[in-house]
Amino acid sequence: MRRSEALALLFLIVFSIVSFLPAWREVQFAGMSLFGWLMAALMLISPLLMLLVFGRGGGGR
Amino acid sequence: MIERVLVLVYLAVCIGIGVYASRRVLGSGDEYWVAGRRIGTGVNAMAIMASLASGGSIIGVMGLAYSRGIPATLALFAGAVIGFPLASLLVARQLRNFGRYTITDFLAWRFPSPIVRLLVPLSIVVAFTVYIVAQLKAAGITANALLGISYESALVIATLVFITYVSIGGMTAITWTDVVQGVLILLVVVGTAVAVTARSGSPFELMRQATTAAPELGSLAGQSVSSYLGSFVIWATAIPVIPHIVMRVFTAKDARGARLSLNLAMVAYSVMILAAVLAIVPVGKLGFPALEDADQVFLKVMESEFPPIVRGIAVAAVLAAVMSTTDALLLACSSAIAHDLLGGLFKLNPGPRKLAALRIGSAWVIGALALYWALSPPELITRFYTAGVGLLSAGLFVPTIAGLWWKRANRLGGVAALVAGVAVYALTLTGLVDLGLAPIVVALTASTVAMVIGSLAGAADDDALLTAVAALHTDHQA
Repeated sequence: MRRSEALALLFLIVFSIVSFLPAWREVQFAGMSLFGWLMAALMLISPLLMLLVFGRGGGGR
Repeated sequence: MIERVLVLVYLAVCIGIGVYASRRVLGSGDEYWVAGRRIGTGVNAMAIMASLASGGSIIGVMGLAYSRGIPATLALFAGAVIGFPLASLLVARQLRNFGRYTITDFLAWRFPSPIVRLLVPLSIVVAFTVYIVAQLKAAGITANALLGISYESALVIATLVFITYVSIGGMTAITWTDVVQGVLILLVVVGTAVAVTARSGSPFELMRQATTAAPELGSLAGQSVSSYLGSFVIWATAIPVIPHIVMRVFTAKDARGARLSLNLAMVAYSVMILAAVLAIVPVGKLGFPALEDADQVFLKVMESEFPPIVRGIAVAAVLAAVMSTTDALLLACSSAIAHDLLGGLFKLNPGPRKLAALRIGSAWVIGALALYWALSPPELITRFYTAGVGLLSAGLFVPTIAGLWWKRANRLGGVAALVAGVAVYALTLTGLVDLGLAPIVVALTASTVAMVIGSLAGAADDDALLTAVAALHTDHQA
């Protein structure tokens, strides 16, 4: 596994762990728990980050 | 009337594809199980997305969000989205380079034991039969609500159609139908979301209105962290090992195509889920605040907001979602029985005609069992099939990852991890053991501990096997 891939994976894992911290449960934005928005953000960030890493790495060759 | 014509046309196209594909697949294992390993990246990406975007992902995701709130629902599906990079980075290249047909092939090669040859396919058949039942329920309630056909009739028609094209057309037929189905699903879900959002002004305004009327929609009140953490972990660990996705890795032209198609599928899947949960569910909650069956919310929105022709397309899209997943599940079950159990464990070596009969027969048996069960369906289909998928994650994730990435992993560790994962998940899910944690978290921990202890206690693997495993990490043999 290349360094950029490992870093991207680490970032996504850390983002996931931080998102599950209890602190975000009660904070609300536009009527929804911040935890929900963090999950939605994760669903967008994850694919875009992986495509970026894949593209910069020459498509994993 | 026009709705029924649209659906009939769609079903006829699916069967036509199956019949056409059958001409070239029935005599060849490579053609039947992995579509000749020549599926291009774009087609494979759409097929992966369609395989994962089940009836559960349309009917079920919205039902779950309606009843349990949007944040907990997003946790479940974000888990699947995190599973894609895990699959792309940790297993896609290696499994594609391995070049066989099923996840059982890999695990039985890496950890040679009759227990692996038996337990893996049995777990697949149990988990996927549950998964298929949930999909059939989605087809039945959709046809019942939007076409006026009885639930039972809809089940029988949908089941007959997908069993026919899977049993005779194999992975080639599934791939072609999945592409059509994937496009249809994306268009309907995203199109519906755009249309209902446009009427409200913005997604944030829509969310604000819905959560003002129903505050529980946006909160996690009354839900323990372990419940939604469990859903997240199940799907994050399932994607790299779940057979109907892994088989897609085997169909790719090469390792690069396998990885890129996983990443592209993830983009489409995320867009679809977010559109469904953040736009359609709030509209459904505002318009129908007290549904008895939460899984009806999408159908109610379609019924109230759109004309008959759009509703007909929506029924076809839900049936597409059901079929695109169920066909892949059925093929995985069929391969578990015909290829893994009869061919792998019992060493039967039937001729091409007998093999084709075995494939077709096993698909029909599993389909019939699921149909019988679906006549008395469970509530909240997403939670139901997530439990089935959890069984596979619990048993397969640790052996697969350790088998590829940990040189010290050996046969004793692999078998111990598999047995511990499956047994502990079953015990905790059924409540026989209750540690106050999500069953999948307990099971994965037990599986990991069993892998470490077993591998340290058992004899190291042959150098030849370790060299072969190391070779899977390079692209030279793709």
